[in-house]
Amino acid sequence: MKISYNWLKWYIPQLPPAAQLSDVITYHLTEVEGTDTLANGDVIFDVNILPNRAHDLLSHQGMAKELAGQLGIAFVDPTPKYVIPETIPTTLSVDVADSACRRYMARVVRNVKVEASPAWVAEHLTAIGQRSINNIVDATNIVMFDSGNPCHAFDAREVRGGVRIMRAKAGETLELLGSEKITATLKETDLVIADNDGRTLALAGIKGGLNSGVADDTVDLVLEVANFDPQTVRKTARRIGVLSDAAKRFENDLSPEHAAYAMRELSALIKEMCPDAVFEEIVDIYPNPQESWSVAFTTELVNTKLGATISSDAIETILKNYSFDYVREGETFTVTPPALRLDLKTPIDMVEEIGRVYGYDKITPQIPKIDFAPAQHQAYEHMNAAREQLLAEGYNEVMTYAFTKKGKVEVARGAKGKEFLRTNLTDGLKESYELNRLNAPVLGLDAVKIFEIGTVFVEKDKEEIHVAWADKKGVAEKTLEEYVASLVATSPQPSPSQGEGAKAETFKVWSSFPFITRDIAFWIPLEVTPRDVEQELQKVVSSLVVKGPTLVDSFSKEGRTSLAYRFVFQSYEKTLTDEEVSGEMEKILTVLKNLNCEIR
Amino acid sequence: MESNTRGTEHPLSLLAGDAYATFLSLGFQAASGPELETEWFNFDALNVPKDHPARDMQDTFWIKGEEGKVLRTHNTSVTARMLAQFAKDGTNPAATISIGKVFRNEATDVTHEMQFFQIDGCMIGENITLAHMKGALVEFYKNMLGENVEVEFRPSFFPFTEPSVEVHAKFNGRWLEMMGGGMIHPEVLKNAGLDPEKVQGFAFGGGLDRIAMIKWNIPDVRLFYQGDLRLNQF
Repeated sequence: MKISYNWLKWYIPQLPPAAQLSDVITYHLTEVEGTDTLANGDVIFDVNILPNRAHDLLSHQGMAKELAGQLGIAFVDPTPKYVIPETIPTTLSVDVADSACRRYMARVVRNVKVEASPAWVAEHLTAIGQRSINNIVDATNIVMFDSGNPCHAFDAREVRGGVRIMRAKAGETLELLGSEKITATLKETDLVIADNDGRTLALAGIKGGLNSGVADDTVDLVLEVANFDPQTVRKTARRIGVLSDAAKRFENDLSPEHAAYAMRELSALIKEMCPDAVFEEIVDIYPNPQESWSVAFTTELVNTKLGATISSDAIETILKNYSFDYVREGETFTVTPPALRLDLKTPIDMVEEIGRVYGYDKITPQIPKIDFAPAQHQAYEHMNAAREQLLAEGYNEVMTYAFTKKGKVEVARGAKGKEFLRTNLTDGLKESYELNRLNAPVLGLDAVKIFEIGTVFVEKDKEEIHVAWADKKGVAEKTLEEYVASLVATSPQPSPSQGEGAKAETFKVWSSFPFITRDIAFWIPLEVTPRDVEQELQKVVSSLVVKGPTLVDSFSKEGRTSLAYRFVFQSYEKTLTDEEVSGEMEKILTVLKNLNCEIR
Repeated sequence: MESNTRGTEHPLSLLAGDAYATFLSLGFQAASGPELETEWFNFDALNVPKDHPARDMQDTFWIKGEEGKVLRTHNTSVTARMLAQFAKDGTNPAATISIGKVFRNEATDVTHEMQFFQIDGCMIGENITLAHMKGALVEFYKNMLGENVEVEFRPSFFPFTEPSVEVHAKFNGRWLEMMGGGMIHPEVLKNAGLDPEKVQGFAFGGGLDRIAMIKWNIPDVRLFYQGDLRLNQF
């Protein structure tokens, strides 16, 4: 959700500078995914609103209330400002024929003038990445991004005889508003807004229909501020692939209580933009009003969950700053949360509320000590034993993909060629062996020996952990149990020393260009030791040598010693040419000749 | 030249070994569970409601022709299984740690892969707190990334914990998101057969691949599963 700093200031004029706000949000509310400073000086925060706060925080007013609570600063309630001085009686009929519509507020507004929005309206919408369309549509959007309650305006000409909220007829279609020009094919589970002629005008809580939207020549409106069942909205929105801003809000379960405020704000905004507009009375169908609830918790509960020592007075200060309705009796608090705070239902909800406002950074780490004797876990012990054995035998560990193109278990919507889960490790290991065999010179291996321990899916309902190993003799594979059992039968191998060289601290990316291998064999003179030769060779090799000098052969004959070294050349920038490598080899030859070595 | 030098270990195995060692020394019990998991242990037992936006937080691989089966999207399914086991055996206090492969159906790139490893753990008892989780995780990240590492909790939301936090670690001067966790949600305890009035505790989980990438500066998560020995540098 994009939140404008200037917009927040409507409600909380004492807001600290934008630069300080990111930390307040990050450490006490949720992640700030990014900030952006606009040309007009406004700062836009891209805030990742968590699912449990989507009830109230997908809105500037909600964010302002939250920050006012956190910072203990005043929240300026705009409600008294939003007044419609005069209303006339209405004949609009609203028939809520389905309980998935929890509240429907509608109001006819006559004599509006559809035109471009005032500059401040367009500016506010653009700031948060929205497009300005016209004053009426913009007013509905401003109210949604401000209050969090989506709203809609119909052209009253197209609402014949009244509004009816009902389930769709299976197979009917509705062309939706919006630049995407989507025509939705409906099912009988979809909730729609229709008129009394039975014509479908909108997909409830998702999108209005093109047939009844505000046009340039619209004069009379039917305003809708409603509340719909989250699951119903969610199912339809997902199925037709229209995750509109309205759907995103309704699927998170909004409080129907909020609709009254949104209608008031929307009306006032239209009145401001169209001073000659005539407002009819609001029709409000709200059969089961949301009941208020209370939740009791103790200071002790907060501290025994958090492992902190927060005082009752500190808790009371938090509740006060949030303007929560509460009663304190000693160390016990009974809170009646605001209607929009549907996330505060149980004592543990209050623990989290207090904890995050207090600040998790203030919790002192404690090493836990419990009276518990952990049992050995056989699969873990066996995997360790198998890995240890294979490493000791000189096998190198690899991991390959669990997904393949053939198998017994198929995933839905899998990537092409990776629709199935592997039934064995052998297939993957064969490919791995081939890859590593080709790279053996770069790896400095004269024989490739690899293994993998991993889960395979041998039947539709049967997964097993297998061990497989590959070398020049081929690939072998066993279940982990079989493999471990075979170890007991043979005597355990002594663990040989670690391979040569220190272990790396930082990963070295390999080159994606081909390598070239060159061997050179020579007799060394009597007065020179093999060690001297290697030292001199080390000095001359350039960064193009990715492996080497590696001694690959040595023998003595008639008092003389012959050595053979291997050099592997590879560039990070390009494919090396034969000439480039020969040039490098010349340098090496010169060194050897200077040492009086006789090239063989 | 020596044909019998010890083989090299996959970086994720090395790291998993160190991670297990840290938690076993803190008294946790190693555990594992199936990769092809039931919807119950992957979601329902963990208080992830059906048809709720929270379920979208993880892109799930469903199994064709097998209603109610998924490739586990997190190793927290093992935590759910172990909690049920502890309840059945009457083991309290208790603690468990598991490292295993998990799956997400999403487009792959340098930081996203369809398969990766997660480390998940929990501890229950009469008075196990969020401060204890912080203590255990500070110890863990110091062992993983070095003594100088700093650990921070930031508010978050997961259906299976409340309060929920995101665990961040400061490594080489940068704060990095490492895992999620919090106090086990009372509904999760109930689903496991434990009484939330008598037992409480913490649970956490996060990517092992991510720790490896940060620790060794490995640029691409996909390198872990190529079967390429050039990866085994450590």
